[in-house]
Amino acid sequence: MTVAIVLLSLALGAYLLAVIERWAVHGHLSLTGPAWAALALLGRESVLARKSDRLFFEIGPVLLLVAGLLAVAVIPLAPGLIITDLATGALFLNAALAYVLVALIMAGWGPNGAYAMIAGWRFLGQFIAYAMLIVMPITAVAMRAESLSTVQIVTSQAQLWNVIYQPIGFVLFVVAAMGLAWLPPLDLPDATGELAGGVEAEYTGARLAVLRLGRMTIILALAGATVTFYLGGWLGPWLPPWAWSAIKIMFVAAAMLGVGRYMPRIREARYLALSWKLGISLALANIFIVGVIALGSGPIDFRLGT
Amino acid sequence: MSELSQYAILFGLSVGVFGFVISLYAFARAIGRARAEPGKDVPATAGTLSRDPVWVRYHARYAGYALLFLAFDMEMAFMYPWAVVYREEGLIALLDMGVFLAILFLGLLYGWSQGALRRQ
Repeated sequence: MTVAIVLLSLALGAYLLAVIERWAVHGHLSLTGPAWAALALLGRESVLARKSDRLFFEIGPVLLLVAGLLAVAVIPLAPGLIITDLATGALFLNAALAYVLVALIMAGWGPNGAYAMIAGWRFLGQFIAYAMLIVMPITAVAMRAESLSTVQIVTSQAQLWNVIYQPIGFVLFVVAAMGLAWLPPLDLPDATGELAGGVEAEYTGARLAVLRLGRMTIILALAGATVTFYLGGWLGPWLPPWAWSAIKIMFVAAAMLGVGRYMPRIREARYLALSWKLGISLALANIFIVGVIALGSGPIDFRLGT
Repeated sequence: MSELSQYAILFGLSVGVFGFVISLYAFARAIGRARAEPGKDVPATAGTLSRDPVWVRYHARYAGYALLFLAFDMEMAFMYPWAVVYREEGLIALLDMGVFLAILFLGLLYGWSQGALRRQ
């Protein structure tokens, strides 16, 4: 039952997000637009490139969808409304999202086209830039919650949301999440106008529909993770918990889509340098600061400061 | 819910995605199929298949970062269990991991000074 509710809300969320993306890109708000676009994609022919690696070409989009769905499975939408409340939820989220890299390299390698291949390998460079900045802020979140369970991480924020408790971690995590979901300005693997669509260049028809759906799921999973780790999950006054989750997740997802419209695409070399020189230093400082604060307020004999 | 049944659900979800995609492809195929025409199945380059293998086009110039990434990623594997028991252990945990992180951060600074943080 819970599974069905979460999957339904995921489908609804993905559809709403498609409406918002269409609005951000083309400038007109149409509630039925994505449905017609999806139907048109299914109606178009799905071409298989001549010397393609068939297995990788077919598996790539599906694996992307699987990774997104597994990540969504550990995100709580309300008390009790979570597919699997794993004791290692935050770690499982990382493990699931690691397959985004595998899926994109498969999708880039599969069709044996130059643009797609370059885009796929480029994402490996992008991975080395964002990966640590996904993992390190989550460590600081787990330090406060004393658990890796996503439900406990939400309840640990009842007094104060993590966005105020550890703002550095929040900013690092959101930027890294945009890198993971290859949203502009960090959209190196599909670099429209530079790589002719990159990974998406050789996908047409139904396969492209699955690839786009997978990407929407990834964006929603990351928005859900941001809300769970930093924005207090379902916590909030007046409205029922599920409504707060929905509002926060859609807001974060729309903000991540919107930011990129006003920024130029960043080069791979600069992204790598920025995340390792500035990002890693800030992430280490974040862990240290949270460590000191947690010691000061923790239920232990050995208090630092107040 | 026991651990095992939770993983069974996750496995079921993964298999379900394959079923969903296959039915989607079947539906798309029922609408219409691709007509075989010469040249249609050539990847987007210049209208002909490339002479050389295409994977030689990209050069992994981030090798320095990649090596540092391995070190940091291993460190993170230790940090997760540490983070969970951090408040129980208190100051000892901060000092233990502080020494570890300081050494790692010095390593990052050394790599930086030697030009590892540069796209070669």
